[in-house]
Amino acid sequence: MIELSNVSQAYGDETVVEDVTLSVEPGEVVAIIGPSGVGKTTLLRLLGLFTRPTAGTVELDGQPVWSADEDERLQLRRRVGTVFQEASLFDASVARNVEYGLRVRQPWDDRLRDTLWSIVGSNGTPEAVKRSLDVVGLSDKLDQQARSLSGGEAQRVSFARALAYDPSYLLLDEPTSDLDPRNTGVIEEAIVEARDQGIGVVVATHDMHQAERIAGRVGVLLGDGFTEIGPTETIFENPTDDRTRQFISGELVY
Amino acid sequence: MSLEPALLSPAVVDLPFREGYVRSIIYVSLYVSGIAVALSTLFSIPVAIVMGFTDFPGKQFVKSVINTGMGFPSVVVGLLVLFVVSNQGPLGSLELIFTKEAMIISQFVLATPPITAISLAAISGVSENVRDAARALGGTRLDVALVVIKEARYGIATAILAGFGRAISEVGSVLIVGGNITSASGISQTRTLTTAIQLEARQGQYDTAMVLGAVLLALVLTVNAVVVRFGDEGSVNR
Repeated sequence: MIELSNVSQAYGDETVVEDVTLSVEPGEVVAIIGPSGVGKTTLLRLLGLFTRPTAGTVELDGQPVWSADEDERLQLRRRVGTVFQEASLFDASVARNVEYGLRVRQPWDDRLRDTLWSIVGSNGTPEAVKRSLDVVGLSDKLDQQARSLSGGEAQRVSFARALAYDPSYLLLDEPTSDLDPRNTGVIEEAIVEARDQGIGVVVATHDMHQAERIAGRVGVLLGDGFTEIGPTETIFENPTDDRTRQFISGELVY
Repeated sequence: MSLEPALLSPAVVDLPFREGYVRSIIYVSLYVSGIAVALSTLFSIPVAIVMGFTDFPGKQFVKSVINTGMGFPSVVVGLLVLFVVSNQGPLGSLELIFTKEAMIISQFVLATPPITAISLAAISGVSENVRDAARALGGTRLDVALVVIKEARYGIATAILAGFGRAISEVGSVLIVGGNITSASGISQTRTLTTAIQLEARQGQYDTAMVLGAVLLALVLTVNAVVVRFGDEGSVNR
């Protein structure tokens, strides 16, 4: 479980996230909805153990994150796969990109051998790489240069990259923003599949229908913190908070 | 005096110098610039990496010193190195004056600013998102640094070649600290392509100067062609 307790995040004088309490269980999909610029990405960076909160505590599977030393924190972060909105693939083949998470987890002597082999010729693609590219429907692009992919393909490779090393949690920042409806469906299916395998998924999205389709719980981020968080049905059909209701009905315009 | 292409080959036509003379000059030029740039690279790249990855007070100042260094007049560098290696200077006891080693020192000083500055620009130019991605996928600090260096590889290669271009075509400092010396048998000791051209031209040996000039031009063109090729390859993949 990833657990944020009374977490706040400020950059200088500007508070981006204020007093947020949120837990993500294995095997559930939590959607964070809200307009652009409201702090969804900051919240994901806190969940992904990237940013140290200015107040509050973050725990992963019961272990406090920010009182741990850097090495322990790295091990904790390795349980989480974060996919940022910007695909930012490495300047290498698709296969090498998807392999990256597996490679950094190998001991150094294996990595060195792997690098030497790759100079001589191909050393085969790990099954996990093929599998996760298969999930996003790009198994035919293994050897293509990542920088030559289209925006939508790059976004799907970026998703496959996080899936390959089998994380316990997946954090996705607008995972379908560059995708056509068909590929949006592919990714949403992959998210549900990941959930069924016991992965805890957090999706930040401004697409309320997407949240409704895939999430078990929804958090509505309108100001510095959640106006409301609860089961998807409750949020969409019976919101208790006035601003949530206005946001969902489209009356609240930012 | 007519100069036809065939004349450019000393093996074909009897020119007023022996082939060994030209070859020794080319050798000294490549030796001095090659070692200077190699040392400079070993020094500059780590500096650029550290500067690209850390923030420290005075970083902007160090950056502007490096950028100023790119335009530093080579004769002034030569003069300063001359003071350092001259008999009364701090390194006087090493008796480096008028040796290839002294020339390497001055070319090191000249090549370091452009190599550092261009590498730093390349490293800083790697998107923050790429670093984030490497971290998100479980990379350690070292992994992140390796990714950034790999992403910046074309820029770093350009930096090294630019440093070499500056060193090999520079005349002021090697003339001052090297002394443009040949041995009694006419083999270059500290004479480089640039200082030889300057001397031959002044003595009216225009055909020799032209041959040396053509060799230098060919070297610099080759280096620049490689730089351009690297640059192209980088932009295709971006």
